Formats: sequence, C-alpha cells, structure tokens
Amino acid sequence: MSKPSKTILLVDDHKFTLELMSGALKRQGFSCLEAQSVAEALSILDKQTPDAILSDYLMPELDGFDFRRILLEDHRMKSIPFIFLTSYSDEELISKGYELEAVDYISKETPVPLIVSKLNNLISTVHRQHEQSISELRQAAEMLNLKTVPERIVAVPGFQIDFWHKSYKDYPGGDFIDCIHANEQYTFLVLGDVMGKKWGAWFFSFSFLSYIRAAIRFCVYDGEYSTSVIMQKINQVISLDPMLGQVLSTLALVRIEHSSNEVAYTGAGDLPLLHYQTETGQLKAIQSSGLLLGLFENGSYSEDKITLETGDQLLCFSDGMIDYEDENGEKKSDFDYFTKSIQPLLARPDAFNAICERTVYTHTNRAQIDDSSLIFIKKTMPQ
Amino acid sequence: MITTTKEAEATVVNVTIREAKFDKADHFHSELVQLIDRGEKNLVLDFSQVTYMDSSFLGALVSSLKYALAKKGEILVVGLNKDIDNLFRLIRMDKVFKIFPRVPEALHFFHER
Repeated sequence: MSKPSKTILLVDDHKFTLELMSGALKRQGFSCLEAQSVAEALSILDKQTPDAILSDYLMPELDGFDFRRILLEDHRMKSIPFIFLTSYSDEELISKGYELEAVDYISKETPVPLIVSKLNNLISTVHRQHEQSISELRQAAEMLNLKTVPERIVAVPGFQIDFWHKSYKDYPGGDFIDCIHANEQYTFLVLGDVMGKKWGAWFFSFSFLSYIRAAIRFCVYDGEYSTSVIMQKINQVISLDPMLGQVLSTLALVRIEHSSNEVAYTGAGDLPLLHYQTETGQLKAIQSSGLLLGLFENGSYSEDKITLETGDQLLCFSDGMIDYEDENGEKKSDFDYFTKSIQPLLARPDAFNAICERTVYTHTNRAQIDDSSLIFIKKTMPQ
Repeated sequence: MITTTKEAEATVVNVTIREAKFDKADHFHSELVQLIDRGEKNLVLDFSQVTYMDSSFLGALVSSLKYALAKKGEILVVGLNKDIDNLFRLIRMDKVFKIFPRVPEALHFFHER
C-alpha cells in the first residue's frame, strides 16, 4: 500500500498563480485542491479536509483574512494548518496574519523546494503534536484503569474464546469488548460499537460498558439469564440517560453456558454473527432482530439459540471488519466479501490467527478504514 | 455537503459527498437539525452520490431521525447503492427508516399519507 499523498488546498484569485503553484506542488508529490475565491474554497472544505491550506491575502470580495476568520469559527476547520501566501512583505499584514492564528507566512517569491519543505515540516509537526496528545490521553485512561477491551478473556471450559481488536490508525474509537464471568454456569461476551467520532465515541464507550456490566450483574443476581431480557434492560436505562440517549451504539450479547453446547445471542443493530459448522463446512449468518441501543425504548430484542458441535465456531465482529479501501482508493462495506474471504480459513486449526492476519491485510493491499473487533468462539470438547 | 429543494410534500435533501464518514457526521447532523428547526420536518434524503457510509455517519443519520420524530417529522431515505442498502438491512436500519429507490416514490409516500 503506497503512502497517501498530502493534500493542500490552494486559494488564489489569479488562475495563473494557482496553476503554477499547483503544478509545482504536484510534481513534489502533493495532491492539490484549487479555489479561485473564498466561496469556492469553503465549498471544497465542505466536502474534503486537506492537510493544509495555502491562501492568498488579497482577493476580491472576501479576502484571505475574512477566509481565516470564517475558518476559526468552525470547529472542524479551525485546526487545519493555515499558511498565508503573498507577494507582499508588509510587516503589518504579516502580523495581522499571525494574530489570526495563521501558522506561517510564505512569500510567493520563495523557491518551490523551500515551500515544499516548509509544508512538510508543518504537517509533520502538527501530526506529532496530535500523536503526543493522544498518547497522553491514553496514558491517563490507563492510569484510571479505563479499558474498553479486556487484557485477556477468562478461560471457559469446553470453549476456546479469543478476541482481537485493532483501532483505526491507533486512534481510540467506539468499539468495545468485554467478557463477564457471571458464575460457575454462565459467561457473557459483549461486543459493541458506539456510533461517533473517534474520541467522542471512545469516551462514551466507557459509559455504555458500565451500564452493560451493571445490567448483566443485576440480572444474574436476580436469576435472570435471558440475553433478550438483559438487552432490553440495558436499552431502557440507556434511553433514560439524558446524555447517552443522544448517542447510539450497536451491541452483540452472547451467553455461554459452560455445561452445554448451546449459546444464546441477542443483537442490537449489530452485524449478523457467523456460525461455521465444521461437519458441513458451511458458514451461516445469524441475524438478530434488535435495533440500536438508545434508539427507541422498545428495541424489539429477540433471542437466538445456537447449538455448537465440537469444532464449530461462532464469530462476532464490528463493521470495521467488513469495511475496506480497495486498490483505487474506493471505500466499501462488504459483508459478503468478508464472509467469502474467511470461509476457507475456518477449516484450519489456527483459524482465529488466520482471520486476524487476513484482516490486517498482510496478504492483500486492501486497507483498514475503521476500528476492527472480533470475538471468536470455538467449541472444543464434546459434552 | 447538502443541497435542498422544497417540494409540496417534503424537502428533498441531496447529499453531495461521495464518502459519508466521521469527519462529516457532525456537520451533516447540524444541517438536518437546522432544517427541522426551520419547520422542514419531512425530509427525503437522497444518497445517490454517496458510495460509502461509515458507522459514525449512520449514527448522525439516526440521531437526526430521532430529532425529527420528536418534532413529529419524518425522514425517508432514497438512492442507496447496493453496498449501503445491504448494510442498512444487515443492521436493521430498514426497520428504522423507510427506504425508497428514488425521490418520486418517497414524495408519493408523503403525498398519499
């Protein structure tokens, strides 16, 4: 997979300057978006987010300062590195630019190689600062013992249980996994995906997990083990929560009975589970009826019972596993492609590792574009 | 990101991005909320130009529906490509949204209601 090129938005009312600069930057490996006015630039920014913006000062109608002011008011666009490009070397103009949090100033007379190295430095500095902030937040979360993925899953007699999680570009995201050993008889497995933006989703995933853990524990305490009843209770409390009621999450809830080969499953807006039957080699999708958590007070939750014979496998996964970017940079969600590509792997004794390897695309050039999570359950012993 | 056309039965919202992802989700949600607040409560969202939708954007879409329903409005969805349509059915979004092939069918639904 080749490294994607950095995208620069160039804004200049002179078409010739725009084409000259764009051509020079493209020859240096950048992708360029071109706008001849602030209005045109805003329309481009509505659809795409460049790595940096290089804008002229003086333009008819809205000028570069107006442009910068508009961007500073927009939460999404204010953090895009912004550089003024000008033929003026007026100190006053330069200082006005810096007051508007422009990160740099480049004269149009600057030789192209110098502009390129300034751009590269700027983008990597922003990237490094960003990574440092993420690393600090992650360390803080670890110190507070906040984990949305368990360090290890408890051993369940008669079953091989594994999980795998890979966050998108190492950003914390909305996927969460948990394994709750309820008592000597039952273990519950949960896999969810909070539908939100990276950090936002990550923060909310802790709240969702707290409710889910509590609901399972309370139900088990009352002798209630039905996954559909537990799911409905989780949904009710989340719908009543003034904050979480505005956020939505998928959830797959799987109950394993240690002394049985029957597994119970209830889903909430999640992808179907896949059941691999070792005797026939068939892979069957099990689709639940339940709706996303927090959507309606009654989420129409049903309970499926799945019988696992020795060697049978059950796969529960988030949408990141089926999303990918193809060779042409087109993003896709393809459940059937995922199913077909893993089916041959499931007959192997190391099926779990083979699926994980396949998903990090060591054997293809299809790139991961979202958080990917998987819970793998295999029946290992006859009852 | 969106352009709108006001019809007698509803407002048609044309989603003009190819990749409907997390970086556009908040903006999309706030644009729909603004429309609903302006009294345009019945919306037909046309996704014919959209080739990919991630879960964050889906979340923003469902949140907008919740908002519209609370204001006694309705959001219909049209123009889903094969992959997105399949995803909607897999995660039961087809039980949440009324889905039509194209804008006229959705407007007809509002007209007949």
